[in-house]
Amino acid sequence: MDAAELTIREGIARYVIGFVLASVLTAASFYVLNTSLIWGPGIPVALVVLAIAQMGVHLVFFLHITTAPDNTNNVLALAFGVLIVALVIGGSLWIMDHLSQNVMPMHQMMQMQR
Amino acid sequence: MFGKLTWDAIPWSQPIPLVAGSVVVLVVLAVLAWVALKGYLPYLWREWITSVDHKRIGVMYTLLGLVMLLRGFIDAIMMRSQQAIAFRAAGYLPPEHYDQIFSAHGTIMIFFAAMPIIIGLMNFAVPLQLGVRDVAFPTLNSTSFWLTATGALLVNISLVIGEFARTGWLVYPPLSELPYSPGVGVDYYLWALLISGVGTLMTGINFVTTILKIRAPGMSYLRMTIFCWTALAANLLIVAAFPILTATLGMLAFNYRSMVAATMFICLVSYLVWMHHFFTMGAGADVNAFFGISTSIIAVGTGVKIYNWLFTMYGGRIRFTTPMLWSVGFLVTFTIGGMTGVLLAVPPADFLLHNSLFLVAHFHNVIIAGVIFAAFAGVTYWFPKAFGFKLDEGWGKAAFWLSLLGFYVVFVPLYVAGLLGMTRRLQHYDVAAWRPWVLVAGIGIIIMMAAAACQVVQFVVSIRRREQLRDETGDPWDGRSLEWATASPPPPFNFAVLPNVQGAEPYWGIKQRAIETQQLSAEPRYEPIEMPRNSPTGFITAFFSTLTGFALIWHIWWLVGLGLVAAYAVFVWFAWRDAVEYSIPAEEVARYDRERRRAREQWLAQHAGQPA
Amino acid sequence: MSATDTPFERASDPYRVGRSRDWVSTGAGRGYVYATGHGEGGPASKRVIVGYGFWIFLLSDIVMFSAFFAAHAVLQTATAGGPSGRDLFNWWSIVAQTAFLLVSSFTCGLSAVATEARDQLWTQVALLVTGLFGLGFLVLEGRDFAGMVMQGAGPQRSAFLSSLFAVVGLHGLHVSAGLLWLGTMMAQVFVKGFRPEILRRLVCFNLFWHALDIIWVALFTIVYLIGLGR
Repeated sequence: MDAAELTIREGIARYVIGFVLASVLTAASFYVLNTSLIWGPGIPVALVVLAIAQMGVHLVFFLHITTAPDNTNNVLALAFGVLIVALVIGGSLWIMDHLSQNVMPMHQMMQMQR
Repeated sequence: MFGKLTWDAIPWSQPIPLVAGSVVVLVVLAVLAWVALKGYLPYLWREWITSVDHKRIGVMYTLLGLVMLLRGFIDAIMMRSQQAIAFRAAGYLPPEHYDQIFSAHGTIMIFFAAMPIIIGLMNFAVPLQLGVRDVAFPTLNSTSFWLTATGALLVNISLVIGEFARTGWLVYPPLSELPYSPGVGVDYYLWALLISGVGTLMTGINFVTTILKIRAPGMSYLRMTIFCWTALAANLLIVAAFPILTATLGMLAFNYRSMVAATMFICLVSYLVWMHHFFTMGAGADVNAFFGISTSIIAVGTGVKIYNWLFTMYGGRIRFTTPMLWSVGFLVTFTIGGMTGVLLAVPPADFLLHNSLFLVAHFHNVIIAGVIFAAFAGVTYWFPKAFGFKLDEGWGKAAFWLSLLGFYVVFVPLYVAGLLGMTRRLQHYDVAAWRPWVLVAGIGIIIMMAAAACQVVQFVVSIRRREQLRDETGDPWDGRSLEWATASPPPPFNFAVLPNVQGAEPYWGIKQRAIETQQLSAEPRYEPIEMPRNSPTGFITAFFSTLTGFALIWHIWWLVGLGLVAAYAVFVWFAWRDAVEYSIPAEEVARYDRERRRAREQWLAQHAGQPA
Repeated sequence: MSATDTPFERASDPYRVGRSRDWVSTGAGRGYVYATGHGEGGPASKRVIVGYGFWIFLLSDIVMFSAFFAAHAVLQTATAGGPSGRDLFNWWSIVAQTAFLLVSSFTCGLSAVATEARDQLWTQVALLVTGLFGLGFLVLEGRDFAGMVMQGAGPQRSAFLSSLFAVVGLHGLHVSAGLLWLGTMMAQVFVKGFRPEILRRLVCFNLFWHALDIIWVALFTIVYLIGLGR
């Protein structure tokens, strides 16, 4: 995250590599949607995988989050954030799914009021 | 021009809020006038309002919290008295008003009483215990405080201009949606919390950064006090959600590492329990089972801590001073509340007890013990450090015993009434079986009023008698952590030279050495110290936030725009300043420190030959 | 303390893990300390402190976004008989927005390189280009929103649309605030040069802008690409 002792050329190279990788992954995402190469129900999975990969590219090449020893606090903080996000999104989806299975739909409930 | 705001927003036709509001407005104006006439305004502006010193900000936070605790307590008195007389009767509070009272009570107690008190204690103590000069972002700290004050101000304005939410403090839809809550009450709630929430989030970021990145040399993670670990856990929770707060005893626990482990265990598992508020919502057995188990498991970590504290006390020599009494009161009461919590964590049981007074009694049991008793322990403990004199022991003990008694007399009957089927938030009721319990609770609230009075008297008497209660050395409790190495109150820079931390109890080692050798360590080499400049940024930002919040509530759109532009302008103006720090010359540092050393040498001489 | 520091402190972190043989400046004017990995090195440098604090803020912001994402994920099919993603999304506009934001992230990175080299001209040029692409992104997004509202597919039409406007709109608000910040930073760099506090703020801005692009990756994947398939 902090600029290491790089030359200008090395600095630019890092961003160029990141940009190229990110562009490839973005193009792949848009391509996956339109192609019949991937089995239908697997498309959302592929898209999520590509998104996570691209986020990783951003983190490493743009934000400089690496596994270097001086970065440990940053990685731990990131892991904490990822955990919370996983709990919030995963937990919400799990609970809402169960609710939608178990609870009477709203319009039916309103009809019973009449 | 003024959006929805008209003269009708003031409750002309409702005597209770009208009178209450008028009294508050008059008192506030009187205090302001007295301050201005006595010429205190420049001092207050220079030393407190624009201060970025964590010690000053901590005191202001705690003061805000204590004042709002009183306001929330008055709401509680009104609710208990209404219920005591409203058996097959209308009582004196109409439902529209009663509903606002219980909503305001919960909102104020959690966000504007409990949280500011705890954040105030953390603000004051954490940098001192870490052996450093201030938190990571001092001006941000000031802004956080003033934004919290903004939220509190908005909630109190709703008493006189408009109304508050009638939905309870969690404002569930659809009751909180426009068709069922057409007034401005829910808006007051939303903007008060959004604005103060920004402040709280910034506090969380500030303290996580401070605790992880700014500690005295030699202070590894496992040499921090337990208070700093719980502060870290709480601020992590703030950063990801809002925390459930616990204060803790700052002494060497029976087993330090197991305390740290238990604290972080609780921090982690507390993210996994949230559905226990919604067992009856219809998510089904699988979901309920998961959250029921996680809620029960939290009791394991808590049990580790409780046993730790018990064994620590067993292994030590206890002086039953006021802070100790509050702490023991916390241990007993919190354990009982925790047990009723485990009862509620079982979903089938919760199906019967959800939203009954049993639930209300349970959470007051853990919150009053876990937050209020602990907070008073902390306030009494650190008061001499902040102000240079101790609080009066007699009135402190009276306040404690009356609080303890009052708490049980109010809430044990409510457990019983809950088991008998009484629902929460009832404006009136007609079930005869509940009546005796509600009446006993009404008596209990009177005992708590006496306790509150004792607290106020404690402060007044202590200030009057401050010369006799003076803390000469800065170490009135024979403490072990670093804050007791400073003078009371500490100088602005806390430590003349950052301590070099050798062992687990940094100050205790220093003190023992001094007592054994009958002299202090050698005078250090004093250097000039850079401290951050005070800044009105926080106050001005909060001022415009208050305007913006009020304008958003009443749909005064031009004022919203003006407030936002002004807030941005303040940021830019603050960002443009060139002089960020000021330097305290070495001679002044030396002067402060030599005075501190003189006081301690005097103590050594007076206690020569006595064992440590 | 600051009199003896270099104009821009090297990011010295006494909390680096591992028994490094490097001596680490404590940044507190107390000389050098062996970094043991247990956090004993004393206070970190201001650069490290500010960067870390801002990183924590970004993570909290991402948690806030995740709540909006969770709501949208749950409500993606709640169209209340109204238009769904397939009926509404403008394919090429989304491609363009994604490209603009990614390019702006790249140019932002280039501006960081220019800043390291203390080059006023290229820093300003790179920042300006970043801002222009960011503005382009906002214009396209604004046009999409306006178009949807004109079609009667505004945020009040259905829960799906409310959640869509909320999560995409929140991101757009962040981009707008970022552009305001960018303009202010360009002015500050121009007037005050590469002072330590200006450099620290530029680091924070970089983090912020890249984080916005990361959030956009999640956004276009979940809201638009997966939403198109529903």
